[in-house]
Amino acid sequence: MKTRILGVVALLAVLAAAANALFVVPADLNQGDAQRIMYVHVPSAWLGYLSGGVTALAGIGYLWKRDLRLDAIALSAAEMGVMFTAFAIWGGMMWARPIWGVFWQWEDPRLTTTALLLALYAGYLLFRRLTDDPHRRAARAAVVGLVAAADIPIVHFSVEWWRGLHQGPTIGSPDKLLTPAAPSQFVIALLAMLGAFTLAWAWLMIRRYQLARIQWQLEEHGRLGRLSAARRAATSTSASVQASTEGAP
Amino acid sequence: MTGARADLAIAWAIARKDALSELRGRQAAGSTLFFAALVLLLFGFALGPDSRKLAEAAPGLLWLAIVFGGLLTVARLHQVETDDDALDQLARYPVDRRAIYLGKALAGLLAMAVLGGLLLPVVGIMYSVDLLAAGPGLLLTLLLGAIGFAAVGTLYAGVTVRMRAREVMLPLLMLPAIAPLLLAAVKATTAALAGDPLGEFWPWVQLLAGFDVIMLIAGGAGYGFLLEE
Amino acid sequence: MPQTTIYSAPPNSPLVPIPAVATHEVARLFGGSAALAGVSLSVERGRLVTLVGPNGAGKTTLLRILATSLRPTFGAALVDGIDVVARPELVRRRVAFLAHATGLYDDLTATENLRFAATMLGRADAADAVPATLADVGLAADADRRVRGFSAGMRRRLALGRLLLAEPSLVLLDEPHAALDADGMALVDRLLERWREGGATVMVASHHADRIMDLADGWARLDGGLLVETGGRGIGATAPALARTAPATAVADR
Repeated sequence: MKTRILGVVALLAVLAAAANALFVVPADLNQGDAQRIMYVHVPSAWLGYLSGGVTALAGIGYLWKRDLRLDAIALSAAEMGVMFTAFAIWGGMMWARPIWGVFWQWEDPRLTTTALLLALYAGYLLFRRLTDDPHRRAARAAVVGLVAAADIPIVHFSVEWWRGLHQGPTIGSPDKLLTPAAPSQFVIALLAMLGAFTLAWAWLMIRRYQLARIQWQLEEHGRLGRLSAARRAATSTSASVQASTEGAP
Repeated sequence: MTGARADLAIAWAIARKDALSELRGRQAAGSTLFFAALVLLLFGFALGPDSRKLAEAAPGLLWLAIVFGGLLTVARLHQVETDDDALDQLARYPVDRRAIYLGKALAGLLAMAVLGGLLLPVVGIMYSVDLLAAGPGLLLTLLLGAIGFAAVGTLYAGVTVRMRAREVMLPLLMLPAIAPLLLAAVKATTAALAGDPLGEFWPWVQLLAGFDVIMLIAGGAGYGFLLEE
Repeated sequence: MPQTTIYSAPPNSPLVPIPAVATHEVARLFGGSAALAGVSLSVERGRLVTLVGPNGAGKTTLLRILATSLRPTFGAALVDGIDVVARPELVRRRVAFLAHATGLYDDLTATENLRFAATMLGRADAADAVPATLADVGLAADADRRVRGFSAGMRRRLALGRLLLAEPSLVLLDEPHAALDADGMALVDRLLERWREGGATVMVASHHADRIMDLADGWARLDGGLLVETGGRGIGATAPALARTAPATAVADR
């Protein structure tokens, strides 16, 4: 029930923030309406990073506690990560076309960072599919997730450094929203959208996790069922367990 | 300190064993080197014939060849453990898992360093690059790049060695993960070859070193979990 | 760690020594099927016992769990009272396992393989111990040949040599007579005697039950992942644990 409320609230928040970003906030002087994509692109990218952090932490948690529920969280977060990162890339490309005339370019390499992040997520999810045993899968995925998470800050830092060496275009920069000089209306719109997206992310995570948990419980139920069936079969064929009469402790 | 000393001895023993296997193993290592050199040749076909452009692209092409050869190398170093289920046995010895990781990563480092070192003259000749002008900076970059690649590669090879579709899983996981290493190594190599006009060399080398340290720690922490079933 | 070390002892005999091996409803699932469906047994220290049963009964799975090569899905397994999941590194120091695969490096010689094993096992006297071991298993003449050229029987012998180097207190053997000729089988028998005389506990899973039965103190039959029957001395079925053990994966909602 609480989740449903969260879902409704998230939906309303997203609609409100979107309406605000599209109609209420004035267009950017230089970039025009295209700049509005940033209100969606930036929060998506941030949630992509957040999901990565959750995946890694849940993986570490699994390695420590061996609780498959933590693995279910890691899986859910990874799927969220793919979704939001892909969305961020799409938003970035849609923005780049009118502003720079191309869908992709290398001078502002944040597109590359995000693409690498997407590749890491996609690899993680593909990789999970190739192992059947749940504990082995969880352990391997946790290790891969750990390394990927360690990689993200390095990727980010190295690409920022790379970008710093080449003077990127300043007028058409996606960074405009994040500088202190940005008009407060823009910033508020961005933060509102970020908040709304985060609510949506939380709702999606909870639902995905619940689904994963049900799947896992079904699997577990099936396994235990087979276990008890095996035992019943053995005892019903009148093979009985005999304790030895001498010398056994 | 005896614990750490014993671990290092274990790691060294593993590295030695792998090095011996490599040297005797039916020229598999030589084939990998040959493959990497072929890759360089094919790059020349694909991007040429402007020699000047090729010379400019040389650092990138060198490191791409090292990466492709490296994928084969780290895969092979773990393949030797699966032939007779030796990895299973290795996991049963009463040794610290991090020592096992360190040993295999060390073997990987040696193999990568040799691969890269032997590719340098190939690049020098094929793309008309003056290697001597670069001096020790180039060798340092090579070493740090080899360490980083071996650190990540040993871990991922360990992850994928007993999996289905491991031939594609290893590159699929490794390539995004070593992207920053590739970037930093190429930038540092370019700077070294040009005499470092913009003072970029040391920052990129520091990034490489940082990558190496982080990946070695992550690898050491994670490898043990892969040896259990 | 999810498991704590458990010491099992029957309630009425507080002075009974800790068994070499004790399992409490240990189970292992592979995908859909249960290789072990809940086995509770106990092996007395210093005994030579054999596991019998058809293929797929769970003998190998049980041995692998005791060797720390496999984690149980449910239940617990203890070696010398130490939980194999909680403190595997302590268990590894005590146990040596002869698996189906010999785990050797083809491009190394017999001597190099054993030297490597000796280093891994922490033996400082490798230089002396390795030649002696090779002689013990009848491979002295092939000491410097690469394992790639070895027959299956020779590889087995080398693997047995590796077991000798470990000087374990618990020896686990999975089909040790496989791929061996008459001489080889006699070697195994000799080694079994030697281990027993040395006070080690030995568990052998074997199809050649008749051969082992003469030597063994006791036996246990597994079928379909369950313990069906035991006999002789030194090995017996136990009731589920007196101390409650949390299964390796808990299903109950928390």
